[in-house]
Amino acid sequence: MINNNFKQLKKEYMDIPIPEELDFVVRKAIKESRSNGVKRKGRFSKAVTVAASIAATVAVLTVGINTSPAFAKTLSKVPLVGSIVKVLTFREYTVDENTFNANIKVPEISGLKDKKLQNSLNEKYLEENEKLYKEFLADMGDMKEKGGGHLGVDSGYVIKTDTDRILSVGRYVVNTIASSSTTFKYDTIDKKNEVLITLPSLFKDDSYVDIISENIKEQMIKRHEADDMMFYWVEGVEEEGLVDLFEKISKEQSFYINSEGKLVISFDKYEVAPGYMGIQEFVIPTEVISEILVSDEYIK
Amino acid sequence: MGRNILEEQIANHVVKFKDKYYRLAYSYVKNADDALDIIQESIYKAFSSLDSLKNPSYMKTWFYRIVVNTSLDFLRKRKKEIIVGEEFLFNCNDGEYDSYEDFDLKAALDNLPEKYRSIIILRYFEDLKLQEIAEILNQNVNTVKTRLYTGLKKLRTQMNDENQEVSI
Repeated sequence: MINNNFKQLKKEYMDIPIPEELDFVVRKAIKESRSNGVKRKGRFSKAVTVAASIAATVAVLTVGINTSPAFAKTLSKVPLVGSIVKVLTFREYTVDENTFNANIKVPEISGLKDKKLQNSLNEKYLEENEKLYKEFLADMGDMKEKGGGHLGVDSGYVIKTDTDRILSVGRYVVNTIASSSTTFKYDTIDKKNEVLITLPSLFKDDSYVDIISENIKEQMIKRHEADDMMFYWVEGVEEEGLVDLFEKISKEQSFYINSEGKLVISFDKYEVAPGYMGIQEFVIPTEVISEILVSDEYIK
Repeated sequence: MGRNILEEQIANHVVKFKDKYYRLAYSYVKNADDALDIIQESIYKAFSSLDSLKNPSYMKTWFYRIVVNTSLDFLRKRKKEIIVGEEFLFNCNDGEYDSYEDFDLKAALDNLPEKYRSIIILRYFEDLKLQEIAEILNQNVNTVKTRLYTGLKKLRTQMNDENQEVSI
């Protein structure tokens, strides 16, 4: 009887829908493999590393999608196919001992025609993360000598925006000693012209620092008025003298451009608010800065 | 030179039978995105380990093996890294159950330990010979035979158990 039932199951198996992208994915993977194939000869170990890191990406994506709906939403915008510029996990460092945990993922951008830009970003990512890993190992060694302790570092990346025009990659580092600190850094790339967008490059002159800062202060106060729990170290919310109050953003403040083409300014944990507030982001209304923007190409 | 011809053959083979390999990957991971990733990854692996293909006439079993291993690696990683994921995955699958006329067998098959499940899928869904399955899974034919029968037996008992405990 079971054989008959298998027939039914087999029919369902054969009915598994074949996605349209399959053909593209297959051809692209073949093309990539073959064009790299020449170099791989005699450098087999290297090829294995690449394969392993691709496997890591698969895992990372799954974990992210399954654990956080927000993350899933971000990632769903990273097309598997379609846009050619993409971000993958290049390397992963992990330490997993009882009280010592490190999980560091190094992103790698691929597909940019401007190899100089691509390499400089990827080298930066690798360098930052190697440094982080070495520091962690050194700290861990120190603490072990002194009789142990808790130490954790978690570093990775999120794709903040991936449109036809803009790619914003955010890299985060969470350090856990007693409490944890989080920092976020972004790179925003114009995929069409293949340039790295910096904050000053968006504006005609330095006046953006004051204009944006004022807007953020207003937003902070508004958020606090709407919700007592939203607490910022800013005049009008926090008393003077207790902590350094937020005055203005730095010229190179962390930022990215979201998929609606709005400028988003980001502050690390503890930068402008108590720790429980975590990372703070402010979307700057475009009308506030439209006068001083160089163009409306990126920010709309 | 030989390498190039071999690459060409593999490329043609994979393009021709991509649907088959995709379905197999899908039967492990149960969603399109992951299945696509597995196919992509399998192709990378295949080209970086051309040397492991000793005889081009084994190309089919060789690539099947890569897809099976990649899927299993993937599932292993997923198991290790997701602690709260099971419920989520279960919910994801939920919607599909309705369409399975043979709910019990389908569920029983999904619950079957991997070493039996792979054999059953390859034997009954992919219509492969026991000899081919043995090559894909890198086991001898007798082991495959034994496991196939054990697997079928387990399916029967599982289905009977379920019928007694809960009536769905």
